[in-house]
Amino acid sequence: MAKYLGKRIFYIILTLFIVTTITFFLMKLMPGTPLTNQAKLTPTQIHQIYKQYGLDKPVWQQYLVYLGGVIHGNFGTSFQFSNQPVSYLISSRLGPSLIIGGQGMVLGVLAGLIVGAVGAIKANTWVDTSATIISILFISIPSFVLAVLLQYYLGLKLRLFPIADWGGFMYTVLPTLALAASPLAETARFMRTEMVDVLSSDYIELAKAKGLNKVGIIYHHALRNSLIPVVTIIGPLAVNIMTGSMVVENIFSIPGIGEQFVKSILTNDYPTIMGLTIVYSAMLCVVLLITDIVYGLIDPRIRINK
Amino acid sequence: MKINSLAKLGGVALVSVLILAGCGSKSSQSKKQEINWSTPAAISTMDTSKMIDLYSAQVANGTNEGLLRMAKDNKVDPGVAKSYNVSKDGLTWTFNLRHSKWNDGSAVTAKDFVFSWQRTVKPKTASQYAYIFANIKNAAKINAGKMSPSKLGVKAEGNYKFVVSLVKPQSYFKYMVTQPEFFPQNPKTVAKYGSGFGTNSTKNSYNGPFILKGWNGTNDTWKLVKNTKYWDAKKVKVDTVNFQAVKTPSTGLNSFNSNKLDYTTLSGTLAANNKKNKAYTVFPQASTSYLEFNQKKIKALRNVNIRKAMALSIDKKQMVNKVMQGGDIAPKGFVPASMAKHNGKDFASQAYVKDGTDYDLKEAKTLFAKGLKQEGKKSLSLSLLGSDDDDSKRASEFIQSQLEKLPGLKITVQSIPFKSKLTRSEDQQFDLVTSAWIADYPDPSNFLDLMTSSNSYNDGKWNNKQYDALIKKSESTDANNETARWNDMVAAEKILMNDQGIVPLYQQGQAALVRSSVKGVQAFTTSPQYDFSKAYVK
Repeated sequence: MAKYLGKRIFYIILTLFIVTTITFFLMKLMPGTPLTNQAKLTPTQIHQIYKQYGLDKPVWQQYLVYLGGVIHGNFGTSFQFSNQPVSYLISSRLGPSLIIGGQGMVLGVLAGLIVGAVGAIKANTWVDTSATIISILFISIPSFVLAVLLQYYLGLKLRLFPIADWGGFMYTVLPTLALAASPLAETARFMRTEMVDVLSSDYIELAKAKGLNKVGIIYHHALRNSLIPVVTIIGPLAVNIMTGSMVVENIFSIPGIGEQFVKSILTNDYPTIMGLTIVYSAMLCVVLLITDIVYGLIDPRIRINK
Repeated sequence: MKINSLAKLGGVALVSVLILAGCGSKSSQSKKQEINWSTPAAISTMDTSKMIDLYSAQVANGTNEGLLRMAKDNKVDPGVAKSYNVSKDGLTWTFNLRHSKWNDGSAVTAKDFVFSWQRTVKPKTASQYAYIFANIKNAAKINAGKMSPSKLGVKAEGNYKFVVSLVKPQSYFKYMVTQPEFFPQNPKTVAKYGSGFGTNSTKNSYNGPFILKGWNGTNDTWKLVKNTKYWDAKKVKVDTVNFQAVKTPSTGLNSFNSNKLDYTTLSGTLAANNKKNKAYTVFPQASTSYLEFNQKKIKALRNVNIRKAMALSIDKKQMVNKVMQGGDIAPKGFVPASMAKHNGKDFASQAYVKDGTDYDLKEAKTLFAKGLKQEGKKSLSLSLLGSDDDDSKRASEFIQSQLEKLPGLKITVQSIPFKSKLTRSEDQQFDLVTSAWIADYPDPSNFLDLMTSSNSYNDGKWNNKQYDALIKKSESTDANNETARWNDMVAAEKILMNDQGIVPLYQQGQAALVRSSVKGVQAFTTSPQYDFSKAYVK
């Protein structure tokens, strides 16, 4: 296991390095400059400012300087938030994003598993049909539309939850619900299909023939075997949540990094773009690693013992 | 007798009831002096040397104060300077400072201004607003790294006299010193925090009506709390202004409707849907959107009849009411309305040229046919460049549909990212382009300078010798004579509009909902946009 982990971590670092390199050069191809009021500056003034930020050097030199900084844990300072270290910018806003993203993911997947399993057990009844309708609805409604609807009805009309802002569990409820919808739907659809398959397989028939009780069969045999393929979609779901959170954070005025990312791209805030790209890639790599480990835990056939 | 005493008793009872009632209503009337304001973006920095955005400037205007303070109707109020005088040649400005204090109790002196201005101009600071100091003696050379910052044309004569030397007379310098870039900085605080200065609410010194609290450098909420050390603190009525960065207008609207916010901005359909709301207010901005003709590239666009025809074929009223829908206002000219006033008269009204901004399709068709004939053409095919955000695309499509009503004119719309559009405009890679300009301070020269033939932001390369001469006159011979200067600029704008150098499309306006109980917030067309020092809750 330790050897496997070591290998995976090496690959994660390699992935991050490649992502960093590609993003750096792509970013430099973007039109525009980090200057807000470029239109009003003379070329000399622009050159002076570039010199202070090291932007007057050739791109490959800037890249080496940046890489050297990153190795020493220095992600530079933001252009947009003058003199603010990028590491602080990210660390001070990462918490809320992780909280709503994590809650949305856990809630979505768990609820999805239940909805999917119930749908499969009660296949082709009204329960199954309603579960399918819920899934289709949640897949088709984009998270930002759902967010606005939740905000209007649960926030403004019923006053159950705060409309926007950040400060305690109550503030996380609506954004979590908005983010959970899509993973819920995806997981439920996947789970239902898998479980219907499993429930009609030979070993389940055998278990029934042996006279095991229904709950035992579902819990011990059906559920566990259906879970294996479901785990594979967790990676893509995590990506879904990350992109969804950029809009949802905006709607609920959550001080997270999603909004920061979009804004840094719009303002050519190079150090912030780089820092956030690395953070997002690292988060995704970690989610994939965890998925693979969990995979081994629930499926003995692919347990890693090398 | 008996009746009399009874009446007396009744009278006393009545009076006491009234007094009590008065007490009751009084205590319920003296509302909590707290305002909940929204802003579209978080503070980016509180270091006034590095400040580049309006929303940070708005906060700085509450927490700090320069020599003068922006006031209503194009006036300036005394700030740290209780008075000022300008030398006859207009080159030396002397400010007499009052005895005022930083929030740590130390005195605000002329040296703090010298320190701050030198710091902004020196190349190491990399200030994007250093250009605004260009008219101060030696600023350009210092900023280019060719001279020591100590040579900047500012000096402290004792602690309370601050003298500025200008390169050429600049009557609107009084507005410039109200802006954050010209605020004083406490040298001790700057030295203490180094590059961390102004990166959160504690790493700063305040000398304005309020103190900033609760800003950790990256968060979306903060508050302005009354500064008891402010020299005019007794006139500041509001105790707290809570700020929240709201990035989605619909969220702002929901928060306003649930009384969490007293002010929120609206755009597009949200603005259109709320026009009947009693709280609906439009704040005009010192910003004009306009259409530029590339006269360098397209010969036909050098023909004034063709330019006039195109201008007259666009219905600007329909554009703001039906297409843009937000708070935008039909234009009066290139210089926005309610921005600059002289002797109580608005610049835009004085320089108004009816057919420069009017809509008259019949006349447009006649002029266009005439122009084409003069150019020896049967038809004209042009592309219209605009940026690719929703508002701009809608604007471009509308302009296209309007222009194509002219027989023989074919327009193709090109929508590209804003930054690419800027580059292409500067390189004259366009036929027609929609542009916008925002004034830094409320003086018409802010706009009019753009259209001089040598200005690099005159993208269409319209040129007019008379116009150039008038602008030059306003900056030289007439610079110290406010009325003569004003008349030069009015005449210049009239030339621009009569010759249709550009087509003003609309003046930007901020549509917003403002709670009726919030009074006394001063709104300006230029930065800082809002001032809370005289605000109160009723």
